Amino acid sequence: MSAAVTAILYAPGTNCHEETAAALERAGGRSELVLLHDLVEGSKRLDRYQALIIPGGFAYGDHLGAGRVFATMLVAELRGQLTDFLEADKPLLGICNGFQVLTEAGLLPGRMPGCRGMALLENESAHFEDRMVRIVVSEDTSPWTAGLSGRILAMPSAHAEGRPLIEPGLAAGGARVAFRYCDAQGSPTDRYPNNPSGSPGAVAGIADNTGCVLGLMPHPERAALAVHESQDGLELFRNLVRWLA
Amino acid sequence: MPIHSIFALSHDDAEARSWLGFLRRHGYLALSALVIERVFWLEGAVDVEALLPLLANPLYQTTARQSMLDAVRGPVVEIAYRPAVTDPETPSILAAARALGQKLEFARLSRRYQFVGLDAAEARQAAARFLYNPAVERVREPEEAWISLRPSGEPDPVRSVTLVGLSDDDLAALSRERSWYAPLPQMKVIQAHEIERGRPHSDAEIEILAQSWSDHCYHTTWKSLGLLKQLSAATAAINHPLVVSSFEDNAGGMEFYDGWVITIKGETHNFPSSIAPFGGISTKHGGVIRDTLGFGKGAYPIGGTTVMGTMDPRLADENVPAGALHPRLIVSESIRGTSYYVNPMGIPMLHPVYRIHPGYAKCFALGHSIGLIPKRYALKETPQPGDLALVIGGETGRDGIHGATASSASMTGETLAKESAAVQIGHPITERNFATAIPVLRDAGLIRSITDLGAGGISSAAGEMGAEIGVDLDLDRVPLKDRSLTGWEILLSESQERMLIAVAPQNLARAESILDRYEVAHAVIGQFTGSNRFEASWRGAKIVDLEMGFLWGACPIEPTAISEPKRVAEPLALPEPASREEWLRAIHGVLRHYHCADQSAAGSRFDSTVQGRTVIGPYGGRNHRMPTNIAVSAPLRGKPYGVVTTLAFNPFYGEIDPAAMARMMVIEAITKAVVAGVDYREMVLCDNFYTPRMRPETAWDLKQMVEAIAKFSAEIGVPFISGKDSSSGTFESDGRRIDVPSTLAVMAMGRVPDVSRIVTKEFKRAGNRLVLLGRAEGDGLGGSVYADLRGKRGDCLFDGYDAPGIRVLWDMLLRLQREDRYLSGSAIAEGGVLLRLFEAGSGSGLGARIDLGGSILRPHLGDDIVRPRTDELLFGEFIGSVLIEVPPEPAFAAAGVPHLVLGEVTSEQEFTVIHHGAEIVRESWTNLEASWSETFREVLG
Repeated sequence: MSAAVTAILYAPGTNCHEETAAALERAGGRSELVLLHDLVEGSKRLDRYQALIIPGGFAYGDHLGAGRVFATMLVAELRGQLTDFLEADKPLLGICNGFQVLTEAGLLPGRMPGCRGMALLENESAHFEDRMVRIVVSEDTSPWTAGLSGRILAMPSAHAEGRPLIEPGLAAGGARVAFRYCDAQGSPTDRYPNNPSGSPGAVAGIADNTGCVLGLMPHPERAALAVHESQDGLELFRNLVRWLA
Repeated sequence: MPIHSIFALSHDDAEARSWLGFLRRHGYLALSALVIERVFWLEGAVDVEALLPLLANPLYQTTARQSMLDAVRGPVVEIAYRPAVTDPETPSILAAARALGQKLEFARLSRRYQFVGLDAAEARQAAARFLYNPAVERVREPEEAWISLRPSGEPDPVRSVTLVGLSDDDLAALSRERSWYAPLPQMKVIQAHEIERGRPHSDAEIEILAQSWSDHCYHTTWKSLGLLKQLSAATAAINHPLVVSSFEDNAGGMEFYDGWVITIKGETHNFPSSIAPFGGISTKHGGVIRDTLGFGKGAYPIGGTTVMGTMDPRLADENVPAGALHPRLIVSESIRGTSYYVNPMGIPMLHPVYRIHPGYAKCFALGHSIGLIPKRYALKETPQPGDLALVIGGETGRDGIHGATASSASMTGETLAKESAAVQIGHPITERNFATAIPVLRDAGLIRSITDLGAGGISSAAGEMGAEIGVDLDLDRVPLKDRSLTGWEILLSESQERMLIAVAPQNLARAESILDRYEVAHAVIGQFTGSNRFEASWRGAKIVDLEMGFLWGACPIEPTAISEPKRVAEPLALPEPASREEWLRAIHGVLRHYHCADQSAAGSRFDSTVQGRTVIGPYGGRNHRMPTNIAVSAPLRGKPYGVVTTLAFNPFYGEIDPAAMARMMVIEAITKAVVAGVDYREMVLCDNFYTPRMRPETAWDLKQMVEAIAKFSAEIGVPFISGKDSSSGTFESDGRRIDVPSTLAVMAMGRVPDVSRIVTKEFKRAGNRLVLLGRAEGDGLGGSVYADLRGKRGDCLFDGYDAPGIRVLWDMLLRLQREDRYLSGSAIAEGGVLLRLFEAGSGSGLGARIDLGGSILRPHLGDDIVRPRTDELLFGEFIGSVLIEVPPEPAFAAAGVPHLVLGEVTSEQEFTVIHHGAEIVRESWTNLEASWSETFREVLG
């Protein structure tokens, strides 16, 4: 059991925080569910935590855009704490809606709070897609994906806005594609439904230039327990625990 | 205060593309492009530039201070909420603006749709049909200017209504005209009450009485037929050790493991879903989920279903009854509604089921909710005098007024227009929020009692919670999203996402601080009194003062006449397919049938794995399209314990024999779970009836069904613990009456100590034998999909098991499963053995070779039984019997249970039927999958 505590940050409309905590616990990590309200009110501070996960859901009803209001709150109310957190190179993971929050907040791809470099648009099908998907790990310089390069991970994917629109400057900023939707052989695919959102280049997840900040659309926490169809998602949480140890 | 406007256009608008396709599919072929421009109206001294990042993302949206739509391209229709109504997004915008340091006073949104290719009239018509709900939204005219964005409007005063001196005809007419839908005997009781107490009722009082006495809330039909207590009496007689709560609370509760209770509830929302499917379906889910949140002292929802019965979506427009929506629209909008509501709630979809029947002009819209709660909180207390009535969640608006009374009335072509205000608008984010907060309140011991505000709104919730002691409400303290609501409208509004909690005064402060932390709105709207009266005041005047005894005791229950209907049913005389072509046509036809086809195109729009508890979801197999017919969840993280649910719903059988259908639905639901390895002794049931308006014949059928399952559940020892009934399944238009078929959907819920022991449907190994275990003779084709393809029903059903007979089969299955004697299994239902063979084969990538009369055929049917025809064997719906996959050695034996070795699992991905040595069918899964997948692609466009 690691002593380091990971904050699992949730807001009104977040709905994957409990299973995310359960997945991290199975990997041997310690977590604390942190309500955005408590950070804004000042009763809790980000620097108390060694890592941060923003889980999935529909924060603030996804009003005005998926993750938009949550991201606005983060940047407007917690810019200082966020910057300190990033500068300390602490691991930060956004899953599904959490990934949308990171992009709306500018933390991905450019780790620049308030400066958006990519967006996650409505799926090509224009509706919610609930699928078991395979993603291939395309880089492992991130603490989250260390040693997983080339691995095919099976896990559920469930979202309506997951089609990345990426500024050309992305590569220049040093951010990298971390996961791609793939077929059974591990070849990245544009074919629906293996690529459920119609994501160009089959992009399923992005890491920033340090690798510490990672966002992905599929749900590793739903492929992490003994009762789950796949336990591949556990690898990401195990990596976090190793990194924090 | 200044009002700014920001217009935003998206460069990449999948939603606009999707609406374009939708509108073209629904007849607007001239529409060549659709553009959606979003408008933000902002009131206050704000720096608009500072707000832009919140309102739009420059990566894919362009903003301007005036519209960017080029007027010459096509007509523009702007949709906005009514001036008296608050936008759902407004609170989020105000909160985010505050965070950005902007003093925004108020905000509104509107959407400008530009219809390229349509003329102005067509554009308005399309918008009115599909793009807004007149109960809360409107078309905003271009010349209109805002004075203020804040909700405005003046309510009508409360009026007193005197019934004294009115003739029976006048009373009946008044009841209709005011949408009370109170039958004459009820009107006369209210009239007599007015004389007795010597003063006229307020309109609010009559509204409360009409709503409380509606069939929807008071179950007058069931009471008059003496049915209401039958199922609960059977349950009491069974006295099942695992039943914690049955028919008392908003849901039923069954003992789980480690001090936890699992709950079950099914609720229909047929009327609103028929006139406004999107709103009706989304609030169907919202309502049944609140039944879980309102169980005991607040259970947490861990699963749900959506079950739809409609007319055939492929119906030609001219065959849709006047005044009814096209079933294609009902189905596609219902899918959108389920996705819109259930996904943000974060509740996994367990069973998405779509069925058709020509009688569903008024559709069948059922949803279930499964919940989890610590046993110590499973029973609520009665409020004490002095306890506070705390309403939490959304504000009260004009939406959903008269839902309870209107839904109890039969539906006519005119209802569509007249009662559109009876359809609620759902905002899942609000419900999601208190779903998070309620367990926190509960575990802090702050909830004395809790219930949802559903049909009948505050009136119903406060009236029922205070029935034993009395309640006094101050309606001026009810938070409103619509300023123009008058007193009785505040009481009856069925605005969604509200719960009523009884809180002891000393606990109020703690409760409020928890709710504030979770950003759940709340208001104390009254107090429980001990006066045994329902009292309410508004704007300084007492507008309601009724004795609870009168409200809950005076409703006249009229006897319902009963007479046995004459059924016009012909015996089936179906020719058996004679050639390879005819066999293939029959097999492809069954797989293409709406009830058997691949429905994953609809079901995969609902989250099935959120909460991380899903073991088996709606679809499985190698390509995750094979229907599993069972849902397995492991609700206690880190524990192997499982909640298992199954569903049975067949609209065809009820036409032939309602009582037999009802029994067969119970058998089908339980067998689907038993074949997976769930002990029927650790199962409970939930019933949802849907029948036509009561006439002597329909009353007969309803009585037959209820009595049949009450008796049967007692005999098999599996109790019903929750259920709901609707007896308003009649649609009238052009002097034509369309009745729904006698409908009963049964859900079984069981528990298993170890989910890893569950046996799944898909084949496991080539060379294994395929055995049909159970009876496989008699009228398996009655009411079958196979008969339906030929436009036939038949005159009798399989109905092959009595209680002792089916228990022998279940016990055998459980023994075989304990001894690992079968590797895959599935219960026979619509589509017969054929559908199960196809699903298990295509879901596994293995094939099936059926030999009927060849070497591996070993009939063990018992002496009295003749082997059925080959098409009966393949397509017969032998409800209760199962298909299992057993090892080739040792030879399969199941003493005392008829069984038939059908053939074997092969490694070729194809389906083969050998008949007396001759191959009559050989077809690849690929070809069969093409037919199987085609139907829902066609339905969903």
